[in-house]
Amino acid sequence: MASFAGVAIVLLTILVVRLWFLQVASSTGYQQRAEANRLRTVITEAPRGAITDRQGVPLVTSKEVLNLVAQPQDLTGAQGRKTLVHLSTALGHPPRYFQAKVDKARKTSPFEAVVLKEDTPPDLQAYVEERRAQLPGIELQAAYRRAYPSGTLAAHLLGYTGPIAAESATSYLDQGYLGNEIVGRAGVEAQYERYLRGIAGRQQVEVNAHGDVVGRGVISQSSPRPGQTLRLSIDIKVQRALEAALKDEVIAAGTSTGAAGVALDPTTGAVLAMASYPTFMPSVFELGTPREVQRVLTSPGRPLLDRAIGGEYPAASTFKAITASAALASGLYTTGEKIDSPGSLMLYRTRFQGFKNKAFGTITLPKALEVSSDTFFYTLADRSYRRPGSPLQDWSRRFGLGQPTGIDLTEGESAGLIPDLAYKRQTCDRKADPINCSWRPGDSINMSIGQGNVLVTPLQMAVAYSAIANGGKVVTPTLGNAVVDADGRVLRDLLSVRATRDLGLPTKILNQVKQGLLLAANGNEGTGTPVFGGLPPRFRVAGKTGTAENPSKVDHAWYVGYAPANSPRIAVAVVVERGGQGSNSAAPAVCQTMSAALGFDGGQCGTGAKTN
Amino acid sequence: MSTLRRRTDSLEARARAGSVGLDWWLLIGTLMTSVFGIYVMRAATESDVPGDPTFFFSRQLAYTLVGVVCLFFMLRLDLDRLSRHVWTIYAIAVASVGAVLVLGVSARGSTRWIDLGVVRLQPSELAKVALAFVLAVVVAERLRVMEPARLTLMTLGLAMLPAIIVFLQPDLGTSLVYLAITLGILWVAGQPITHFVLIGGIIVTLVVLVLYLLPAIGLNVLQPYQVGRLTSFVNAGSDGTQAGYQLEQSKVAIGSGGAFGKGPSGATQTINDFLPEHHTDFVFAVVAEMFGFLGAGLLIGVYFIIIWRAIVIMRLAATEFERLIAAGIAAMLAFEVFVNIGMNVGIMPITGIPLPFMSYGGSHTVTNLVAVGLLLCIGMRGRAAAAVGAT
Repeated sequence: MASFAGVAIVLLTILVVRLWFLQVASSTGYQQRAEANRLRTVITEAPRGAITDRQGVPLVTSKEVLNLVAQPQDLTGAQGRKTLVHLSTALGHPPRYFQAKVDKARKTSPFEAVVLKEDTPPDLQAYVEERRAQLPGIELQAAYRRAYPSGTLAAHLLGYTGPIAAESATSYLDQGYLGNEIVGRAGVEAQYERYLRGIAGRQQVEVNAHGDVVGRGVISQSSPRPGQTLRLSIDIKVQRALEAALKDEVIAAGTSTGAAGVALDPTTGAVLAMASYPTFMPSVFELGTPREVQRVLTSPGRPLLDRAIGGEYPAASTFKAITASAALASGLYTTGEKIDSPGSLMLYRTRFQGFKNKAFGTITLPKALEVSSDTFFYTLADRSYRRPGSPLQDWSRRFGLGQPTGIDLTEGESAGLIPDLAYKRQTCDRKADPINCSWRPGDSINMSIGQGNVLVTPLQMAVAYSAIANGGKVVTPTLGNAVVDADGRVLRDLLSVRATRDLGLPTKILNQVKQGLLLAANGNEGTGTPVFGGLPPRFRVAGKTGTAENPSKVDHAWYVGYAPANSPRIAVAVVVERGGQGSNSAAPAVCQTMSAALGFDGGQCGTGAKTN
Repeated sequence: MSTLRRRTDSLEARARAGSVGLDWWLLIGTLMTSVFGIYVMRAATESDVPGDPTFFFSRQLAYTLVGVVCLFFMLRLDLDRLSRHVWTIYAIAVASVGAVLVLGVSARGSTRWIDLGVVRLQPSELAKVALAFVLAVVVAERLRVMEPARLTLMTLGLAMLPAIIVFLQPDLGTSLVYLAITLGILWVAGQPITHFVLIGGIIVTLVVLVLYLLPAIGLNVLQPYQVGRLTSFVNAGSDGTQAGYQLEQSKVAIGSGGAFGKGPSGATQTINDFLPEHHTDFVFAVVAEMFGFLGAGLLIGVYFIIIWRAIVIMRLAATEFERLIAAGIAAMLAFEVFVNIGMNVGIMPITGIPLPFMSYGGSHTVTNLVAVGLLLCIGMRGRAAAAVGAT
């Protein structure tokens, strides 16, 4: 009988020890789980801020939709599986598809709703409403999604929104984002995320096991805060004109694989228009099926590549304005000097040919820019080669080439390339071609006309020509104009805070270059005259054509210029890949863009002729 | 045998004269636990039945009152006279348990109740006390007469009949309680230890066979839910089954109670219904959530007092058969308390055994109070006998 009592004592002691373990030693964990059971956060989404052009015309807005969502915590066990199977029959997806979504959400944020279907169609809304009882844990939740009133317009610079990427999830969660939030993933959507983001309202309620709100009900709450409106410096008229012109030129050229253009306000660096062709629909990344996204990502035309900031092309003859500035500034050429410019030039026992071997006689620098003489610039290149130092490279870099411009976009901008001795040493083949490991006269000669290894982006060229146009200031191109509130009052100025850098070029020198560019667009022999020659005097354009040789055998067409020539309000750079001669393909697009910005009749633009 | 009976007859007269030797520890411990159980029932089930916050509370109160009346009625019981009708009692017990298979009503896949219109009776609960009484009488009468092995076999055989019927209802928990009562009686009767080793070996073999070996060859003795309940405590954490969820929520309720509890209004696992069966088999988790380690530990302490007094009464018992009744009841209470709390805290399989004096349910509440009444009766008779012996 004593053994009986002994057994009872041992058994009850085991219970007390176990109880101590649960209630004292490991109570904290269980308390958190009891709280997690009892508390549910109800999220009220806040709309993301709109993005408008400089006049306030909306480019991107937020539209309210109803999403079909699941509460992962309510979809456990056999009942949860049953619900998802039921739902999968109604939506026509395999149950695994939903199970995977719910299981993933359960791991990352078990008490937040996970979206099963965006923008639920009305018949499905009705289906779910009628079967609330059979679908515990499934709800319709108000949400906002991006709407694009002008479709693909400005897609590259606007960028797109989408769910938080797995690799950046931690950083977003640390900033107080919810796991299922939609964030800016590219373009100004990403760059200005902190202003555009709408902060969701959170209401914490006490619930019972069946999901009913009980007890004290609302425990804490915060109201949703809509995102702020981002006003861009883009002018929707100019943007439309540029995009239409690029598309026209690509189609007209037949062989073309794409085109890009940038229009800047040359004094401030404000981007008036920026486009790349082919383009894409931004909503694909928020709402598209994986297959649709994949199609955009793998399309042979590379529509996601923003050619305006990320496309690197040989600058060709548009570079001659840089060479001219460098020669004047470093004393390689003095104003008024005449240089013989034959069809080809024998230098260092090598014959360097000019474009179509056309001879221009003995001409000054402005005339050389007008007719786009290659041999004139070969002579300047030879002088530069003989001079210690590297004036061509130095001045190219001062103009902002060979490095990112610093436009307000988080990613996608290329540096381009201004070649020098270091670059040649780095990239040459020491065994097969050791001579190429030095900087040779031919390198200077090629560089002087923007060929060889020179690579630039359309944005860089627009900035460089803006510097010529504005009297020598290198601006930082800027898409953001201001953050404004609902009534259009400016909350934060994004434009005037941007840096400008002085080139240090005397006006006399700049005037020589400007005169050359004016002649190139308007002179009797100007390469751009067929396109720009017919414009009224007060809209006179100054600019330069370019026909870039490249590995593809068909030349890229360039035009970079600004207008009005005497007091520039817009600088435009356009490149048409495999578009042929600059005066044919690119110049008309520039003229159309300028007509939209300055208000002259685009019909006055010429369509280009078969000259260089 | 006849001398024994004559001696107790004279004692009974004295005992009837007053409440000599009433075990106050046991009585007060039992009543306190019952009252506490009613209080917890009130707090735990307030929002369980929409529009009727006192549904479970008022019923449990009524059951307890009936049980307490029965308890006091037991104090006046003439055990000797009753022992002469041992086979009648056994027959009634087996018949009523068997009747459930024919007449019974089902709930949650199990047929355990007979519907009497006003109340539902669970004969298997009431049969616990009857079985303890019958086995005690049978063993006491044959203890030094019959060969030990034969006696053990006979006792087990008598217990197996109702146990198997109950097991078929299916109600594994109650059939295990029958086994505990039987083993308790045989143990206190002083049967050879080899018998218990052998029985233990058979039980282990059966468990392995039923849970693991027979299913492997496609023979399922238990219902799937029973297997889930029996094995879920082995798997750490929720395994997605109903039993796994039950156990998980029980542990969360108990653990979140902490040292001092969350109070009746803060016990959200219970009142927000995250813990299923919080008024029946998992009422201990409710106590632990509401009153913490302190309250739950105290409750275990009170159960210890009740079991301890049962053992004291076992010692005091005037006759062998009374001693064995006390042994059977003590074993029953100890087994129920340990297995129920054990399954609440996740160290025992979920076998559907209610917590004495706490869990909701008429039949088991009345039965356990009757059992305590029987213990008190035996105690009084034992003390009276001791008093006579001293003079």
